[in-house]
Amino acid sequence: MPDMNSLAHPQQHQFNPYTENGGTILAIAGEDFTVIAGDTRQSEGYSIQTRYAPKVFRLTDKAVLAVNGFAADGNMFVKKVRQRLEWYRHAHAKDMPLRAIARLIQTMLYARRFFPFYVYNILGGIEEDGSGAVYSFDPVGSYEREACRAAGAAQSLVQPFLDNQIYFKNQTPAQDTSHPVHLPLHSVLALVIDSFTGATERHIEVGDGLEMYVVLARGNPALQSLQDLPGAEEVTGTQAEERVFVIRRDLKKD
Amino acid sequence: MNSLAQRFSTTSPLAHFRKIQRLADEDEDVSDAAWGSQAGFGSLTKGVPTFTVPNLPDPTAFLRLHTDDHADPNCRIKIQHGTTTLAFRFQGGVIVAVDSRATAGSYVASGTVKKVIEINPYLLGTMAGGAADCQYWETYLGIHCRLHELRNRERISVSAASKYLSNLVYGYKGMGLSMGTMICGWDKTGPTIFYVDSDGTRLKGDLFSVGSGSTFAYGVLDQGYRWDLTDEEAQELGRRSIYAAGHRDAFSGNTCNLYHVKEDGWRFIGNFDISKMHYEGPGDVPGAPGGGYGYALRVEGKSSANPPVAEAAA
Amino acid sequence: METSFAITGKGYVLVAADTTAARSIVKMKTDEDKIKILSPHLLMAYSGEPGDTIQFSEYVERNIRLYQIRNTLTLGPSAAASWIRRSLADSIRSRRPYAVNLLVGGYDTSSHTPELYWIDYLGTLTKIPFGAHGYGSYFALSLLDRYHDPEASLEEGIATLKRCLDEVAKRLVVSPGKYLVKVVDKDGVREIEI
Repeated sequence: MPDMNSLAHPQQHQFNPYTENGGTILAIAGEDFTVIAGDTRQSEGYSIQTRYAPKVFRLTDKAVLAVNGFAADGNMFVKKVRQRLEWYRHAHAKDMPLRAIARLIQTMLYARRFFPFYVYNILGGIEEDGSGAVYSFDPVGSYEREACRAAGAAQSLVQPFLDNQIYFKNQTPAQDTSHPVHLPLHSVLALVIDSFTGATERHIEVGDGLEMYVVLARGNPALQSLQDLPGAEEVTGTQAEERVFVIRRDLKKD
Repeated sequence: MNSLAQRFSTTSPLAHFRKIQRLADEDEDVSDAAWGSQAGFGSLTKGVPTFTVPNLPDPTAFLRLHTDDHADPNCRIKIQHGTTTLAFRFQGGVIVAVDSRATAGSYVASGTVKKVIEINPYLLGTMAGGAADCQYWETYLGIHCRLHELRNRERISVSAASKYLSNLVYGYKGMGLSMGTMICGWDKTGPTIFYVDSDGTRLKGDLFSVGSGSTFAYGVLDQGYRWDLTDEEAQELGRRSIYAAGHRDAFSGNTCNLYHVKEDGWRFIGNFDISKMHYEGPGDVPGAPGGGYGYALRVEGKSSANPPVAEAAA
Repeated sequence: METSFAITGKGYVLVAADTTAARSIVKMKTDEDKIKILSPHLLMAYSGEPGDTIQFSEYVERNIRLYQIRNTLTLGPSAAASWIRRSLADSIRSRRPYAVNLLVGGYDTSSHTPELYWIDYLGTLTKIPFGAHGYGSYFALSLLDRYHDPEASLEEGIATLKRCLDEVAKRLVVSPGKYLVKVVDKDGVREIEI
């Protein structure tokens, strides 16, 4: 019921096409694989809109994109990126390389410099040289290649944990030993699960479900163990040199 | 009334943008460039980039409302701020040194940002202000520097390159771009630095520092600067100045990236951890004094007390 | 804009303050002494809200003198700084607070040690080897991190102070023209030509 009193007064309208839909995304690059993950809760303020709204999307057989922030913008953006990648495929009869996708995303975000997509993007996948890679973006397109990155509501909870466990920040190796440069897939998956269970405990906008995409480089020895992993589903496209899997886990729903 | 008039005027900058936007919209489905990659610069179909602008009387006010103009924590879209960058000219070329911290409010969004943009083997640009603005426009500048080479069979001068960038961002004045950059290089006239910012300022000079930590960098830089510095001394001065800013300015820090431009182009000298420089120094590099830069380390064991000689002896 | 610096050296504290008194866009006076001598071995550079600065510094001066008359002995630098801090801390919680920032330098005659305290209008006190107030601090602090020496002779100390003044003159848009410099050491307080 509209407040009749207020109608007597001058009305001021503000154009606000943005909201914040919570959630967290995360990507970690290994030597010959990349894990890209996100929770599936979508919320606005204190209300949960849905317990299953994917934030992580397979773009090609070697590229997966995670989007976080304003869900409507995020979904629209993924749609547009996929359209451009399809055009590229028609023009060149191959998938766009990962570093080119990263640059494409920069220009697509920057084209909206004066009306931004309110989306934080993390792109993960396999480079042409077979190495795992993560690219992180700000909403207007500045980007950087990294080994790991958390973004979204719980980034300030997850990123320090990753700094400690992936980059071994503030850790001193034991006498005559050194920190490993790259972690194996099973350790990375364990870290991702721990990151999200931790974030679910301490952040109200994180929870419900977890989707982890794993992109394996050609001839990755972890392939067999992943195929045997219960609940891991292969989502590789057609020609498949790289292999893409998705692993789903439940997170607490309170 | 004013805004209404502006909305339908055909001469205002806004009308200009609407025209561009209309072109872009009509073009969106059929753009040839969109089919390929155009080196990622797919939005540059017409040679001029096109931008989507919100359909409002005052689109700049919209942008100001939603992107953080430094102070307002309610703004959703945080643009990275806080930086220290410096560049100076001396007898042996140009030194370029920057920190690597990106902050969003008080959160350290990244500690590994590349704030020196390698435009081409002879040109460097530094990044302060909006990270995306600097990255995008300096990459775009790189494209046009290469086109200049192909058309004129010679490299673009630092002066011309910086003027190109300056004119470009000036075209967007008032639209909310934020960049403070130094275009550094070596051309026919020798080592050159130009400061270019999004207000449209373009200055030629020997020594500049830009960003929230610039005052702290200037303090060390000015006092140690001479034209006849050796290469090693100059590199050390650049590093020491970034350390000073990282130490005193909360929005700067993490690591220092150091570049040296000489006649044969730029060279990356190294990446130096600022905390490590504080306690242990920059490591075994030319020009390093040995030992940490930290004040407490430097004055360890020293005392200002001045007891009379007899008492001190007793 | 108002700027003040202070640095300690071997057996002394050097205090410098600009000499301009400005109102609106006008320089009203260019030889104002903004360093108050509180006792034979204690001085204080003050800056902040016009009116408050004079009132508060004179209040401090009279109270330190009163303590001396009542007790025959003078407050040491640390005791004086503590009392001044407490005065400002009470003030900020009062109906009309003083908006005054201070650098208190003194020579402790019992331990033969020069001491310097940085105090702001909120009642924050820190003991420091060097310090500054105003826009000058943005240029001088990094420079002093690099060049300050706790064992510097007076000549070396003055040279370092000059670096600060030169840097501010070079880089600060609204830099003050002239400074007054005072030193406190075992022989007491005196003014220095710079």
